[in-house]
Amino acid sequence: MQAKTIAKRFIGKSKTLLSLLTVASLLAACSTATEEGSSAGPSENAKKTVVNYWYWLDDASNNTMEQLIQKFNESHADIEVVGRMIPFSDYQQMLINSVSTNDPPDVARFKDWWIGQFAESHLLEKLDDYASKWEYKNDIDDVFWNTGRTADPNSPIYMMPHQFITFYLYYRKDLFEQANLKPPTTFDEFLHAAKTLTDPSRQQYGFAYRGGSGGQDQWYAFMLAGGARMVDENGSVVINNAKAVEVNQWYIDLFKKHKVTPPTAVSDGFAQLTAGFQAGTTAMMAHHVGSYETLHKALGDKLGVVPMPQADPSHPATMGTMTGNVMFQSSKNKEAAWEFLSWLSSPEATDILSQSTNGQLPVLNTLTSKPEYTSKNDGWKISIESLKFAHVWPPFKGVGTIAGHTWKDNNDLALFGKITSKEMLDQIAKTLLE
Amino acid sequence: MNRQANHSIVGRRTSGVNEPLTVHVKAAEKKRKRTGLSKYLYLLPAALLIVGVIGYPIVRALILSLYAYNPLSSGKTFVGLKNYVGVLSDSTFLKAMSNTAIWVIGCVFFQVVFGLLGAVLLNQNFRGRGVIRGLTLIPWATPSVLAAMMWMWILDGNYGLLNDILMRIGLIVHPIPWISQTGTAMASLMLIDVWQGIPYFAVMLLAAMQTIPGDLLEAAKLDGAGAWKAFWKVVFPLMLPTLMITTILRIVWTASYMDLMMVVTQGGPAYSTLTIPLASYYRAYTDLKYGEATAMAGIQALLLLIVVVLYLRLMSNKGALDNGK
Repeated sequence: MQAKTIAKRFIGKSKTLLSLLTVASLLAACSTATEEGSSAGPSENAKKTVVNYWYWLDDASNNTMEQLIQKFNESHADIEVVGRMIPFSDYQQMLINSVSTNDPPDVARFKDWWIGQFAESHLLEKLDDYASKWEYKNDIDDVFWNTGRTADPNSPIYMMPHQFITFYLYYRKDLFEQANLKPPTTFDEFLHAAKTLTDPSRQQYGFAYRGGSGGQDQWYAFMLAGGARMVDENGSVVINNAKAVEVNQWYIDLFKKHKVTPPTAVSDGFAQLTAGFQAGTTAMMAHHVGSYETLHKALGDKLGVVPMPQADPSHPATMGTMTGNVMFQSSKNKEAAWEFLSWLSSPEATDILSQSTNGQLPVLNTLTSKPEYTSKNDGWKISIESLKFAHVWPPFKGVGTIAGHTWKDNNDLALFGKITSKEMLDQIAKTLLE
Repeated sequence: MNRQANHSIVGRRTSGVNEPLTVHVKAAEKKRKRTGLSKYLYLLPAALLIVGVIGYPIVRALILSLYAYNPLSSGKTFVGLKNYVGVLSDSTFLKAMSNTAIWVIGCVFFQVVFGLLGAVLLNQNFRGRGVIRGLTLIPWATPSVLAAMMWMWILDGNYGLLNDILMRIGLIVHPIPWISQTGTAMASLMLIDVWQGIPYFAVMLLAAMQTIPGDLLEAAKLDGAGAWKAFWKVVFPLMLPTLMITTILRIVWTASYMDLMMVVTQGGPAYSTLTIPLASYYRAYTDLKYGEATAMAGIQALLLLIVVVLYLRLMSNKGALDNGK
């Protein structure tokens, strides 16, 4: 009886010990897998430095980035880049979560809007020293390098510029010809055309106003074209000055007073905009080269592209935005991370990305001067022409919040007449500095 | 186990072994104590799980709501109840609170009414009943983001199916921008949620109905009760506990649900569909004010707790928790 009890106790203890050992082995295995990357066996990857890279794709059906990562890994025996594609709608939230849990990626695709937030919290690696030794440093104009800095005049470079877009105006050639109109070059011509092409009884409207998700870029393009600026030469916020209030009122009145936009404009996002423009419900739409292929495929010769109409054509302006890549300060493999980061911005990799359906304007002069870019199509041609007068969002901390909801909340209220143009801009100016 | 212990004492006492009785009693008591402790040991894994998965995040969130905390900056500052005072004096949050109340009451009320109706219909004998019962679950099984995308186009103000049908039958002359007007946006979202939630109520209530013994209905019939009376006097009281728990769960889910607003309206137009979870989400992830965001979530949790407790007490007084007995 006693012997049995001892045996049972021994077995019980052994089981506990065995369980603990199993758990310990599993934990050890997990930790090994994390350090060495999960895509290959430990022996294969033992000498490789793993670089975690996060990115989003505008066209998720074509994972160009995966092809680029594979190409990089094949040509770099000592580095293993592990890519993670995250939908854009969740991207910023995922980055914030990764930082708050001390587990950000080594390298990440990044928007110029976010630099203020992340760099001022000392989360991004300064890239000046790396960039100064990079062979293509002088192939990128300073204006593009500056999109990777914060609002501080002495700011270092935090983001490698990569892909750029500029806003221009699409118009329906067929509708303009029927109405005997020329594509607009000024605000007055734009409003005249929009009024002429609006007939609610036939569900026909002059302009596709984007009041829904992402509408802040279109708004900012019109604000700039109207002569308003977000900040002046001294870096002071002037988006709520008299000029800006006037331009903003003009923009609000497209919906509120002139009613040249669909009644759904307040909630229309990109999908509604393109659907309406393709169906001929709207005659004009402001966007960038990212939508050219889709629209051209649907409309063919009916598609026209012109630069943004201007309030004062002698001082043209439009909005541009940069998508680049950053390295997180917490990265333990900075040399390998830079190797990948710089390779992504090289002519070889940039060309592959820019020629894909995820492509935007390359920032390397050796590429933009090539005929296959300058004369690729009207979208590319107008975009490259607009580069010289494009302005990006100022690199303040509040830009992410404005893009997130402040602009939409206040634009809604202004469209419904619940706040004035000035009150809307005061709120944006306040958020910009928060 | 106790019986075994007693038996052991008696057995030893009658066996004539030369040991003092008190020793046996002490041993038995010790064993009983050990047995008493073991039931807590059995509960321990579940208790640990609840404390770890539910308790810890709640406590953590409550603590966080007392701090000013930006996830991108290191360190946080203790601000006491300032976050609560701040959000409660914020007109946008107050608007979100009233929207949440309208949203929850509207959605759950219509789901209960139509779910009950659906359960009664599905309980009838008709050809193809099994197939119909399966098909009714489709809205419930549809992922919320997919449902939101689908309904966005149905309700679209320019090309939407709903406008097309209403114009064809002559009910409206011009298309209505359902999700782009402050007066119709919330109702449009409620329509989507009600569409998704009816099958859940219908299936739960149908299951409750099917457990009602046929002889009770037979007896009611013999006593002269018609179908209407039999339903309200026999079927409904027996279904009430299921209806209650289903409603409570749905209240909690609906109050916390924000996928629809996020995909379809982003809380607009002009805050007309902004609810507390979405306001909290924006405060956390675009304003980077985690403390205020958790204060908002804390206020919602407290309000929900009050609603659920009141509802339970009300129903308990009416005997709804007694399984209709």
